[in-house]
Amino acid sequence: MAATTNDDLARLLAQVALRDRAAFEQVYRATCAHLLGVAFRILNQRERAEEVLQESFMNVWHNAAGFNASIASPMTWLINIVRNKAIDSLRSGRSERASTVALDDEAFEVAADAAQQPQQLLEESLARLKIDACMGELGATQRQALALAYYRGLVHTEIAASLGAPLGTVKAWVRRGLDKLKGCLEAAGVHAA
Amino acid sequence: MNYLQPERLDRLAREYALGTLAGGARRRFERLLRQSPAAMVAVGVWQERLAKLADSVPPLAPRASVWQGLESRLFTAPAAASARPSPWRWLADLLSARTLGSALAGVFLCVLVLRLQPGLVGLEPQRETLPASYVGLLLDAGGQPAVLASSRRHGRQLTVKLLRPLVVPSGTVAQLWALPRDGGAAFPVAVLPPQGGGAVALPDTSEKLFSAVGRLAVSFEPAPAAPGAVPTAPFVLSGHCVKLW
Repeated sequence: MAATTNDDLARLLAQVALRDRAAFEQVYRATCAHLLGVAFRILNQRERAEEVLQESFMNVWHNAAGFNASIASPMTWLINIVRNKAIDSLRSGRSERASTVALDDEAFEVAADAAQQPQQLLEESLARLKIDACMGELGATQRQALALAYYRGLVHTEIAASLGAPLGTVKAWVRRGLDKLKGCLEAAGVHAA
Repeated sequence: MNYLQPERLDRLAREYALGTLAGGARRRFERLLRQSPAAMVAVGVWQERLAKLADSVPPLAPRASVWQGLESRLFTAPAAASARPSPWRWLADLLSARTLGSALAGVFLCVLVLRLQPGLVGLEPQRETLPASYVGLLLDAGGQPAVLASSRRHGRQLTVKLLRPLVVPSGTVAQLWALPRDGGAAFPVAVLPPQGGGAVALPDTSEKLFSAVGRLAVSFEPAPAAPGAVPTAPFVLSGHCVKLW
Protein backbone atom coordinates (compact mmCIF):
# COMPACT_ATOMS: atom_id res chain seq x y z
CA MET A 1 0.00 0.00 0.00
CA ALA A 2 3.01 2.22 -0.54
CA ALA A 3 1.32 4.40 -3.11
CA THR A 4 -2.00 4.65 -1.34
CA THR A 5 -2.03 7.06 1.57
CA ASN A 6 -4.57 7.22 4.34
CA ASP A 7 -6.07 10.26 2.64
CA ASP A 8 -6.47 8.29 -0.58
CA LEU A 9 -8.09 5.46 1.33
CA ALA A 10 -10.49 7.80 3.12
CA ARG A 11 -11.53 9.28 -0.21
CA LEU A 12 -11.90 5.82 -1.76
CA LEU A 13 -14.01 4.60 1.16
CA ALA A 14 -16.31 7.59 0.71
CA GLN A 15 -16.74 6.50 -2.91
CA VAL A 16 -17.36 2.91 -1.83
CA ALA A 17 -20.16 4.21 0.38
CA LEU A 18 -21.69 5.55 -2.84
CA ARG A 19 -21.42 2.06 -4.35
CA ASP A 20 -18.38 2.76 -6.51
CA ARG A 21 -17.05 -0.65 -7.43
CA ALA A 22 -13.83 0.61 -8.94
CA ALA A 23 -13.03 2.40 -5.67
CA PHE A 24 -13.87 -0.78 -3.78
CA GLU A 25 -11.41 -2.76 -5.86
CA GLN A 26 -8.74 -0.11 -5.31
CA VAL A 27 -9.23 -0.32 -1.56
CA TYR A 28 -8.99 -4.09 -1.77
CA ARG A 29 -5.85 -4.09 -3.93
CA ALA A 30 -4.14 -1.53 -1.73
CA THR A 31 -4.81 -3.20 1.59
CA CYS A 32 -5.54 -6.91 1.10
CA ALA A 33 -2.00 -8.23 1.60
CA HIS A 34 -1.46 -6.30 4.79
CA LEU A 35 -4.88 -7.27 6.13
CA LEU A 36 -4.42 -10.93 5.22
CA GLY A 37 -1.12 -10.82 7.10
CA VAL A 38 -2.95 -9.58 10.19
CA ALA A 39 -5.62 -12.30 9.93
CA PHE A 40 -3.03 -14.97 9.24
CA ARG A 41 -1.01 -14.09 12.38
CA ILE A 42 -4.16 -14.74 14.41
CA LEU A 43 -5.55 -17.79 12.61
CA ASN A 44 -2.37 -19.53 11.44
CA GLN A 45 -4.24 -20.97 8.54
CA ARG A 46 -4.24 -19.43 5.12
CA GLU A 47 -7.63 -20.79 4.15
CA ARG A 48 -9.41 -19.44 7.20
CA ALA A 49 -7.54 -16.16 7.03
CA GLU A 50 -8.69 -15.72 3.43
CA GLU A 51 -12.28 -16.48 4.45
CA VAL A 52 -12.01 -13.82 7.12
CA LEU A 53 -10.59 -11.37 4.58
CA GLN A 54 -13.47 -12.02 2.22
CA GLU A 55 -16.06 -11.63 4.98
CA SER A 56 -14.34 -8.43 6.05
CA PHE A 57 -14.55 -6.92 2.61
CA MET A 58 -18.23 -7.90 2.34
CA ASN A 59 -18.54 -5.81 5.45
CA VAL A 60 -16.53 -2.96 3.95
CA TRP A 61 -18.81 -2.85 0.91
CA HIS A 62 -21.96 -2.79 2.98
CA ASN A 63 -20.75 -0.57 5.78
CA ALA A 64 -18.43 1.89 4.14
CA ALA A 65 -20.88 4.62 5.05
CA GLY A 66 -20.16 3.80 8.67
CA PHE A 67 -16.52 4.74 8.27
CA ASN A 68 -15.98 7.96 10.15
CA ALA A 69 -12.67 9.65 9.43
CA SER A 70 -12.99 11.73 12.57
CA ILE A 71 -12.93 8.60 14.74
CA ALA A 72 -10.45 6.33 12.99
CA SER A 73 -7.94 6.37 10.18
CA PRO A 74 -9.01 4.17 7.25
CA MET A 75 -6.31 1.59 7.90
CA THR A 76 -7.25 1.36 11.58
CA TRP A 77 -10.89 0.92 10.60
CA LEU A 78 -10.01 -1.87 8.16
CA ILE A 79 -7.63 -3.59 10.58
CA ASN A 80 -10.33 -3.57 13.26
CA ILE A 81 -12.86 -5.23 11.00
CA VAL A 82 -10.35 -7.93 10.08
CA ARG A 83 -9.00 -8.44 13.60
CA ASN A 84 -12.47 -8.71 15.12
CA LYS A 85 -13.59 -11.22 12.52
CA ALA A 86 -10.37 -13.21 12.87
CA ILE A 87 -10.72 -13.26 16.65
CA ASP A 88 -14.35 -14.38 16.39
CA SER A 89 -13.36 -17.10 13.92
CA LEU A 90 -10.45 -18.18 16.11
CA ARG A 91 -12.64 -18.48 19.19
CA SER A 92 -15.56 -20.21 17.50
CA GLY A 93 -13.22 -22.63 15.71
CA ARG A 94 -11.42 -23.40 18.91
CA SER A 95 -14.49 -24.80 20.61
CA GLU A 96 -15.35 -26.84 17.50
CA ARG A 97 -11.92 -28.38 17.36
CA ALA A 98 -11.55 -28.91 21.08
CA SER A 99 -12.78 -32.47 20.79
CA THR A 100 -10.69 -33.45 17.77
CA VAL A 101 -7.18 -34.76 17.87
CA ALA A 102 -4.80 -31.93 17.17
CA LEU A 103 -2.18 -33.89 15.28
CA ASP A 104 -3.12 -32.63 11.85
CA ASP A 105 -1.70 -30.05 9.50
CA GLU A 106 -3.05 -27.34 11.64
CA ALA A 107 -1.03 -28.44 14.62
CA PHE A 108 2.10 -28.18 12.53
CA GLU A 109 1.12 -24.75 11.31
CA VAL A 110 0.69 -23.59 14.89
CA ALA A 111 4.05 -25.04 15.80
CA ALA A 112 5.61 -23.28 12.85
CA ASP A 113 4.08 -20.04 13.96
CA ALA A 114 5.62 -20.28 17.39
CA ALA A 115 8.85 -19.55 15.58
CA GLN A 116 7.32 -16.44 14.01
CA GLN A 117 7.66 -14.83 17.37
CA PRO A 118 4.89 -12.32 18.03
CA GLN A 119 7.42 -10.67 20.28
CA GLN A 120 9.68 -10.04 17.31
CA LEU A 121 6.83 -8.28 15.54
CA LEU A 122 6.25 -6.16 18.60
CA GLU A 123 9.90 -5.19 18.96
CA GLU A 124 10.00 -4.28 15.28
CA SER A 125 6.93 -2.07 15.61
CA LEU A 126 8.24 -0.39 18.71
CA ALA A 127 11.55 0.35 17.01
CA ARG A 128 9.73 1.72 13.97
CA LEU A 129 7.65 3.96 16.23
CA LYS A 130 10.84 4.94 18.07
CA ILE A 131 9.34 3.95 21.40
CA ASP A 132 11.48 0.85 21.94
CA ALA A 133 13.56 2.48 24.67
CA CYS A 134 10.45 3.73 26.47
CA MET A 135 8.70 0.34 26.21
CA GLY A 136 11.96 -1.31 27.24
CA GLU A 137 11.21 -0.14 30.76
CA LEU A 138 8.77 -3.04 30.87
CA GLY A 139 10.15 -6.53 31.39
CA ALA A 140 10.56 -8.74 28.32
CA THR A 141 7.85 -11.14 29.53
CA GLN A 142 5.44 -8.27 30.03
CA ARG A 143 6.00 -7.16 26.44
CA GLN A 144 5.56 -10.73 25.33
CA ALA A 145 2.15 -10.90 27.02
CA LEU A 146 1.09 -7.84 25.05
CA ALA A 147 2.47 -9.31 21.82
CA LEU A 148 0.60 -12.61 22.28
CA ALA A 149 -2.64 -10.73 22.90
CA TYR A 150 -2.27 -8.39 19.94
CA TYR A 151 -0.73 -10.52 17.22
CA ARG A 152 -2.18 -13.90 18.14
CA GLY A 153 -5.52 -12.82 19.59
CA LEU A 154 -4.96 -14.82 22.77
CA VAL A 155 -6.99 -14.21 25.90
CA HIS A 156 -5.55 -13.89 29.41
CA THR A 157 -5.87 -17.58 30.29
CA GLU A 158 -4.11 -18.63 27.09
CA ILE A 159 -1.32 -16.13 27.61
CA ALA A 160 -0.93 -17.41 31.16
CA ALA A 161 -0.66 -20.99 29.91
CA SER A 162 1.73 -20.01 27.16
CA LEU A 163 4.04 -18.06 29.47
CA GLY A 164 3.61 -20.34 32.47
CA ALA A 165 2.56 -17.42 34.66
CA PRO A 166 -0.37 -17.02 37.05
CA LEU A 167 -3.53 -15.53 35.52
CA GLY A 168 -3.61 -12.53 37.85
CA THR A 169 -0.03 -11.69 36.98
CA VAL A 170 -0.73 -11.89 33.26
CA LYS A 171 -3.73 -9.60 33.59
CA ALA A 172 -1.55 -7.07 35.39
CA TRP A 173 1.16 -7.40 32.72
CA VAL A 174 -1.27 -6.76 29.91
CA ARG A 175 -2.79 -3.82 31.76
CA ARG A 176 0.59 -2.30 32.45
CA GLY A 177 1.71 -3.02 28.89
CA LEU A 178 -1.24 -1.04 27.53
CA ASP A 179 -0.70 1.81 29.98
CA LYS A 180 2.92 1.95 28.99
CA LEU A 181 2.10 1.86 25.28
CA LYS A 182 -0.26 4.77 25.76
CA GLY A 183 2.33 6.72 27.74
CA CYS A 184 5.17 6.00 25.30
CA LEU A 185 3.10 6.93 22.23
CA GLU A 186 2.04 10.17 23.87
CA ALA A 187 5.58 10.97 24.98
CA ALA A 188 6.84 10.32 21.45
CA GLY A 189 4.11 12.52 20.02
CA VAL A 190 2.75 9.72 17.84
CA HIS A 191 -0.82 10.53 17.01
CA ALA A 192 -3.33 9.51 14.38
CA ALA A 193 -1.71 7.90 11.37
CA MET B 1 -23.38 -1.72 37.04
CA ASN B 2 -22.60 1.47 35.17
CA TYR B 3 -20.52 0.63 32.12
CA LEU B 4 -20.19 4.27 31.24
CA GLN B 5 -18.27 5.30 34.33
CA PRO B 6 -15.15 6.68 32.56
CA GLU B 7 -12.48 4.58 34.26
CA ARG B 8 -14.45 1.39 33.86
CA LEU B 9 -15.30 2.25 30.29
CA ASP B 10 -11.63 2.81 29.44
CA ARG B 11 -10.67 -0.51 31.00
CA LEU B 12 -13.29 -2.37 28.98
CA ALA B 13 -12.52 -0.40 25.82
CA ARG B 14 -8.86 -1.27 25.82
CA GLU B 15 -9.45 -4.93 26.61
CA TYR B 16 -11.99 -5.02 23.82
CA ALA B 17 -9.66 -3.27 21.38
CA LEU B 18 -6.79 -5.59 22.25
CA GLY B 19 -9.03 -8.66 22.04
CA THR B 20 -8.56 -9.98 25.56
CA LEU B 21 -12.19 -9.27 26.41
CA ALA B 22 -13.83 -12.59 25.57
CA GLY B 23 -17.07 -14.55 25.64
CA GLY B 24 -20.14 -13.01 27.19
CA ALA B 25 -18.29 -9.90 28.34
CA ARG B 26 -17.20 -9.23 24.75
CA ARG B 27 -20.73 -9.62 23.41
CA ARG B 28 -22.19 -7.41 26.13
CA PHE B 29 -19.61 -4.77 25.37
CA GLU B 30 -20.38 -4.97 21.64
CA ARG B 31 -24.03 -4.28 22.42
CA LEU B 32 -23.01 -1.27 24.46
CA LEU B 33 -20.78 -0.08 21.63
CA ARG B 34 -23.70 0.07 19.22
CA GLN B 35 -25.63 2.34 21.53
CA SER B 36 -23.06 4.49 23.19
CA PRO B 37 -21.05 7.08 21.29
CA ALA B 38 -18.86 7.46 24.40
CA ALA B 39 -17.97 3.78 24.27
CA MET B 40 -17.29 4.00 20.56
CA VAL B 41 -14.89 6.88 21.05
CA ALA B 42 -13.14 5.14 23.96
CA VAL B 43 -12.59 2.04 21.81
CA GLY B 44 -11.56 4.13 18.81
CA VAL B 45 -8.75 5.78 20.73
CA TRP B 46 -7.32 2.40 21.74
CA GLN B 47 -7.76 0.88 18.31
CA GLU B 48 -5.82 3.75 16.82
CA ARG B 49 -2.96 3.18 19.27
CA LEU B 50 -2.91 -0.57 18.75
CA ALA B 51 -3.16 -0.35 14.98
CA LYS B 52 0.35 1.10 15.00
CA LEU B 53 1.56 -2.31 16.12
CA ALA B 54 0.21 -3.86 12.92
CA ASP B 55 2.79 -2.16 10.69
CA SER B 56 5.38 -4.84 11.31
CA VAL B 57 3.12 -7.73 10.32
CA PRO B 58 4.50 -9.27 7.10
CA PRO B 59 2.03 -8.87 4.24
CA LEU B 60 0.58 -11.98 2.65
CA ALA B 61 -0.98 -11.68 -0.79
CA PRO B 62 -4.37 -13.37 -0.97
CA ARG B 63 -5.03 -15.80 -3.81
CA ALA B 64 -7.01 -14.49 -6.76
CA SER B 65 -9.99 -16.60 -5.67
CA VAL B 66 -10.62 -14.26 -2.72
CA TRP B 67 -11.36 -11.29 -4.95
CA GLN B 68 -13.29 -13.44 -7.42
CA GLY B 69 -15.38 -14.80 -4.57
CA LEU B 70 -16.06 -11.29 -3.33
CA GLU B 71 -17.16 -10.14 -6.75
CA SER B 72 -19.49 -13.05 -7.22
CA ARG B 73 -20.95 -12.78 -3.73
CA LEU B 74 -21.48 -9.04 -3.94
CA PHE B 75 -22.22 -8.30 -7.55
CA THR B 76 -23.69 -11.38 -9.17
CA ALA B 77 -27.42 -11.45 -8.64
CA PRO B 78 -28.96 -14.80 -7.85
CA ALA B 79 -30.73 -16.40 -10.84
CA ALA B 80 -34.13 -15.56 -9.39
CA ALA B 81 -33.41 -11.86 -9.59
CA SER B 82 -33.23 -11.81 -13.37
CA ALA B 83 -36.66 -13.43 -13.55
CA ARG B 84 -38.19 -10.49 -11.75
CA PRO B 85 -40.27 -8.04 -13.76
CA SER B 86 -38.99 -4.66 -14.78
CA PRO B 87 -36.84 -2.79 -12.32
CA TRP B 88 -39.52 -0.09 -12.40
CA ARG B 89 -42.09 -2.46 -11.03
CA TRP B 90 -41.43 -1.35 -7.47
CA LEU B 91 -42.31 2.18 -8.50
CA ALA B 92 -45.66 1.10 -9.80
CA ASP B 93 -46.24 -0.99 -6.72
CA LEU B 94 -45.32 1.90 -4.52
CA LEU B 95 -47.57 4.30 -6.42
CA SER B 96 -50.54 2.02 -6.10
CA ALA B 97 -50.02 1.27 -2.45
CA ARG B 98 -52.99 3.05 -1.02
CA THR B 99 -51.85 2.45 2.49
CA LEU B 100 -49.29 5.15 2.01
CA GLY B 101 -50.54 8.69 2.07
CA SER B 102 -49.68 10.73 -0.96
CA ALA B 103 -47.30 12.92 0.98
CA LEU B 104 -45.50 9.87 2.27
CA ALA B 105 -45.19 8.33 -1.17
CA GLY B 106 -43.96 11.60 -2.61
CA VAL B 107 -41.16 11.90 -0.16
CA PHE B 108 -40.26 8.24 -0.52
CA LEU B 109 -40.02 8.61 -4.23
CA CYS B 110 -37.88 11.62 -4.29
CA VAL B 111 -35.52 10.43 -1.62
CA LEU B 112 -35.27 6.92 -2.96
CA VAL B 113 -34.83 8.00 -6.55
CA LEU B 114 -32.04 10.34 -5.51
CA ARG B 115 -30.39 7.65 -3.43
CA LEU B 116 -30.60 5.14 -6.20
CA GLN B 117 -29.75 7.44 -9.02
CA PRO B 118 -26.66 5.51 -10.17
CA GLY B 119 -28.71 2.37 -10.61
CA LEU B 120 -31.55 4.14 -12.34
CA VAL B 121 -29.52 6.11 -14.84
CA GLY B 122 -27.75 3.03 -16.03
CA LEU B 123 -24.33 3.50 -14.49
CA GLU B 124 -24.77 0.17 -12.79
CA PRO B 125 -26.19 -3.05 -14.13
CA GLN B 126 -29.94 -3.35 -14.36
CA ARG B 127 -30.00 -6.14 -11.81
CA GLU B 128 -29.13 -3.58 -9.15
CA THR B 129 -32.79 -3.15 -8.31
CA LEU B 130 -33.97 -1.92 -4.98
CA PRO B 131 -33.16 -4.57 -2.42
CA ALA B 132 -35.78 -5.94 -0.07
CA SER B 133 -35.74 -3.41 2.74
CA TYR B 134 -37.66 -1.96 5.61
CA VAL B 135 -38.26 1.75 5.31
CA GLY B 136 -39.60 4.21 7.84
CA LEU B 137 -40.46 7.84 7.37
CA LEU B 138 -40.86 9.80 10.57
CA LEU B 139 -42.87 13.00 10.66
CA ASP B 140 -42.66 15.80 13.18
CA ALA B 141 -45.59 17.19 15.15
CA GLY B 142 -46.47 19.43 12.20
CA GLY B 143 -46.67 16.46 9.84
CA GLN B 144 -43.46 17.37 8.05
CA PRO B 145 -41.07 14.55 7.07
CA ALA B 146 -38.09 14.66 9.40
CA VAL B 147 -36.21 11.38 9.32
CA LEU B 148 -35.86 8.62 6.75
CA ALA B 149 -34.69 5.28 8.09
CA SER B 150 -34.03 2.26 5.92
CA SER B 151 -32.43 -1.11 6.31
CA ARG B 152 -31.92 -4.12 4.12
CA ARG B 153 -34.21 -6.96 5.05
CA HIS B 154 -31.44 -9.19 6.36
CA GLY B 155 -29.04 -6.40 7.24
CA ARG B 156 -27.95 -5.38 10.66
CA GLN B 157 -27.53 -1.77 9.87
CA LEU B 158 -29.95 1.11 9.67
CA THR B 159 -29.26 3.94 7.28
CA VAL B 160 -30.60 7.15 8.71
CA LYS B 161 -31.08 10.39 6.88
CA LEU B 162 -32.21 13.51 8.66
CA LEU B 163 -34.41 15.41 6.24
CA ARG B 164 -34.33 18.44 8.50
CA PRO B 165 -32.07 19.25 11.44
CA LEU B 166 -33.08 17.53 14.63
CA VAL B 167 -32.71 19.76 17.67
CA VAL B 168 -31.75 17.35 20.42
CA PRO B 169 -31.99 19.03 23.86
CA SER B 170 -28.62 19.00 25.60
CA GLY B 171 -28.12 16.07 27.92
CA THR B 172 -30.42 13.85 25.89
CA VAL B 173 -30.17 11.53 22.89
CA ALA B 174 -32.63 11.00 20.06
CA GLN B 175 -33.72 7.43 20.72
CA LEU B 176 -35.45 5.54 17.95
CA TRP B 177 -38.18 3.08 19.01
CA ALA B 178 -40.06 0.39 17.15
CA LEU B 179 -43.76 -0.06 17.86
CA PRO B 180 -45.14 -3.53 17.15
CA ARG B 181 -48.38 -3.70 15.13
CA ASP B 182 -50.05 -5.82 17.80
CA GLY B 183 -49.85 -2.96 20.26
CA GLY B 184 -47.02 -4.58 22.23
CA ALA B 185 -44.47 -2.49 24.09
CA ALA B 186 -42.15 -0.24 22.11
CA PHE B 187 -38.55 -1.45 22.04
CA PRO B 188 -35.37 0.54 21.48
CA VAL B 189 -33.72 0.33 18.05
CA ALA B 190 -30.86 2.80 17.96
CA VAL B 191 -29.75 6.28 18.82
CA LEU B 192 -30.02 8.65 15.88
CA PRO B 193 -27.00 10.70 14.86
CA PRO B 194 -27.70 14.35 15.75
CA GLN B 195 -27.15 15.64 12.24
CA GLY B 196 -26.86 14.57 8.64
CA GLY B 197 -27.36 10.90 9.14
CA GLY B 198 -25.32 7.81 8.55
CA ALA B 199 -25.38 4.17 9.31
CA VAL B 200 -26.16 2.89 12.78
CA ALA B 201 -25.81 -0.69 13.89
CA LEU B 202 -28.93 -2.68 14.75
CA PRO B 203 -29.18 -5.11 17.68
CA ASP B 204 -30.39 -7.82 15.26
CA THR B 205 -31.32 -8.24 11.60
CA SER B 206 -34.03 -5.97 10.24
CA GLU B 207 -36.19 -8.97 9.50
CA LYS B 208 -36.15 -10.06 13.13
CA LEU B 209 -36.64 -6.55 14.45
CA PHE B 210 -39.14 -5.03 12.08
CA SER B 211 -41.25 -7.83 10.58
CA ALA B 212 -44.00 -7.23 13.15
CA VAL B 213 -43.45 -3.50 13.51
CA GLY B 214 -45.95 -0.99 12.17
CA ARG B 215 -44.52 2.28 13.35
CA LEU B 216 -41.28 3.92 14.38
CA ALA B 217 -40.97 6.81 16.79
CA VAL B 218 -38.32 9.01 18.38
CA SER B 219 -38.16 10.39 21.90
CA PHE B 220 -35.46 12.44 23.62
CA GLU B 221 -34.10 10.20 26.36
CA PRO B 222 -31.52 11.07 29.02
CA ALA B 223 -29.35 8.15 27.88
CA PRO B 224 -29.37 5.50 25.15
CA ALA B 225 -32.10 2.99 26.03
CA ALA B 226 -30.91 -0.43 27.13
CA PRO B 227 -32.53 -3.56 25.74
CA GLY B 228 -35.91 -4.00 27.43
CA ALA B 229 -36.24 -0.30 28.29
CA VAL B 230 -39.41 1.64 27.51
CA PRO B 231 -39.77 5.27 26.44
CA THR B 232 -39.66 7.75 29.33
CA ALA B 233 -40.38 10.85 27.26
CA PRO B 234 -43.09 11.71 24.73
CA PHE B 235 -42.54 10.89 21.07
CA VAL B 236 -41.37 13.89 19.10
CA LEU B 237 -41.35 12.12 15.73
CA SER B 238 -43.28 9.14 14.48
CA GLY B 239 -44.28 7.41 11.28
CA HIS B 240 -45.03 4.20 9.44
CA CYS B 241 -42.54 1.41 9.00
CA VAL B 242 -43.14 -0.49 5.76
CA LYS B 243 -41.68 -3.42 3.87
CA LEU B 244 -40.26 -2.47 0.52
CA TRP B 245 -40.76 -5.69 -1.37
